[in-house]
Parts: sequence; structure tokens; C-alpha cells
Amino acid sequence: MDDRNPATVQAAQPDRSVRIASLVSAARQGSEDALGQIVTELSPLLWQVARAAGLSSGDAEDVLQTAWMRLVAHLSDIHDSAALTAWLVTTTKREAWRVRAAERRQLPADQESLAEVPDQGPGSEEQIILDDQRRALWAAISRLNARCQELLRIIAFAPRPDYAAVAAALGMPIGSIGPTRGRCLAKLRAQLASDPAGSSP
Amino acid sequence: MTAPDADRVPSADEPLDEVDFGLLDDIRELFEAADPMPADLPERIRFFLALRDLEIEVARLAAEEDLAAVAVRGAEQSRTITFDSDSLTIMIRIDTNPDGTARVDGWLAPPQRREIEMKTAADSLNVTSDEQGRFAFARVPRGMAQLVVRPADQPDAAGRSVVTPALIL
Repeated sequence: MDDRNPATVQAAQPDRSVRIASLVSAARQGSEDALGQIVTELSPLLWQVARAAGLSSGDAEDVLQTAWMRLVAHLSDIHDSAALTAWLVTTTKREAWRVRAAERRQLPADQESLAEVPDQGPGSEEQIILDDQRRALWAAISRLNARCQELLRIIAFAPRPDYAAVAAALGMPIGSIGPTRGRCLAKLRAQLASDPAGSSP
Repeated sequence: MTAPDADRVPSADEPLDEVDFGLLDDIRELFEAADPMPADLPERIRFFLALRDLEIEVARLAAEEDLAAVAVRGAEQSRTITFDSDSLTIMIRIDTNPDGTARVDGWLAPPQRREIEMKTAADSLNVTSDEQGRFAFARVPRGMAQLVVRPADQPDAAGRSVVTPALIL
């Protein structure tokens, strides 16, 4: 997919929700191909939702399959991209917590609280090669609280017009009228502004 | 990516601007590198959705350690995988035939007669389990596969179909 290129992503974004909405309509009328394209389009987002909830790769794959299976039963209720994205994010997150709760029950005398979910955010992954600007961004994200890390990680994969719907689905609404920056992006920008490496072009 | 006014601390209540979108694009790239989704996952999900039923129960891999085995494409040694669903446990043992295809022996618990379909990328194979819940597919092509267990001899019966996640034989 060529939308790993940021310039392409920006150009494609306004059309992405419109395209997804038409795919939803076709999928509702039984198009396997349209459903498949939606899967390809939104699975990377749901992967980040499942992994940010602390699931292993194998559990994350199971949870995604389950979420997509459930969607098929609910397609008739969903008419636009924002509703679809929010529904999938909510279902994936709920299912991820269900799997984690089941795993916790299997551990004897496990006192782990929800706040102690293993950190899947920046720093816990294998080292990747980063230039100075990326390293500054990574460091700034790491200094945010866990909720903000999760929100930014997830909305970064959402179709742009659906940011507000996704944030609301995650329990962190970012604006009641139109989508606003929200405190997580504002904090991130403040962090970057205070770090000389991060504000350089 | 240059802030229009680098000294001003941006407020949370302002609309998203191009700097925010640039940052989100960068964050996406960071996580695509740090925690990439398996590239074939959408394809496996599409495969999985293509055989959905209205009345379907989704089995889960019963043990985490099996996942690693499932991921090993073309492993020579036999391996055993257990799937659990609300109504049924499906255990399969996968062996390698001399010609390289897979032999799959399976057991259903509780034991019962069921129609069992092995769906592969090429086509699907069908067998019926015996009263002890045993079934076998003598030769299955290597690659992606999925089991569908349906009620036997009673298409309108209340029993639900059970599907397993896609696995690599």
C-alpha cells in the first residue's frame, strides 16, 4: 500500500471516509469484495487497538477475527465510515479486555490491576532505527500518560474524518462540536516544543 | 513539519491543524515499524469471513503455545492443536505425508457425528466424524486451511456450525 507515504496519506484522507462509506453500503448488499476491502482498510487500526490493550500477537489476531465476525452481524445498523470505525474500535477493545480478563483468571493470586497493564507503547518494542526527529517524537510520546499514548497510537491509524468518533469510542472525546486537537495532542506538542530536537524541521 | 509559531503552546480546544496531522502521520509510521500487523492478517480474515454462516460459533485456539506451532509453515514434525468453542472441543494432529501434503486426524469432544469441512485456498474437503468423534483427512494441501464443523444429517437442526481460526498447514 502506498499510503505509508505521509504525503499520500494527506492527499487521500478526505476521500477515505467517503470510499469506506460506499464500501459499507456495498457490503451490506452482500458484496464479499467490498467487505474484504474494508477488512484490508481498517485491520491495521484494530491491530493497534488490540496490541495497545496489552494482548499477545496471537490473541490480537483472534480478537480481530472475532470483531470482524461480529461486524458482519451488525452491518445493517451501520451506514457511515465514522459509525463503522467507532463500532469496530469499541468491539475490538471490549473483546481485548475480555480475553485479558480470562487470562488473568487463570493466574493464581494475581493482583494485577487495570492500571498495571503491561506497557505496549513506546520503549517496550524492539529497537528501531530512528532519526533525531523521530527519536524526539518517540521520547515525547513516552512522557505522556498511558491513556494519551493509547489514544494517539490508535487515532494515528484512523481515517482522518473519523478521529472524533474513534476518540469518543475510546472514552476520550476530543470536542463536542467539531474535532479539536484534544489534550493529548496539545501535550505532545508542548513536549516537542520544549525539546529543541523535536521542533526542528 | 514546521510549527507556524513554535513558541506558542497549542491549546487543546483548537481545531486540528496540519502540524497535528503531520504528527499523527509520523506516529503511525513509528508504530508501523515498532509493532507491525502481520502482513497476511487481512487476507486470513477475509478468508475466514468468506465462509461465515448465520448460525456460527467461533472456536478459539485453546493454548497460547499452539500459536507458535501454527505459525511455523511446513513444520516437519507432527503437531497437535486444540480449539475450544462453547459447545465443542476440536483437537487435530497434523502429520506430513511422504509426498509433502498434510494428514490431519481429529477428535471432537463430546464425541458425536458431525459433517466436517476442511476449507483450503484451493477447494474444500468433506468428511464425517464417527460416533466416537474421530475424523481424518488423508491428504490436505499445505497452506492456509480452516475447519468447519456442521451438524450431521440434519440441516435444520438446532446445532450450530463451529469454525476454527484460519491456520497454516
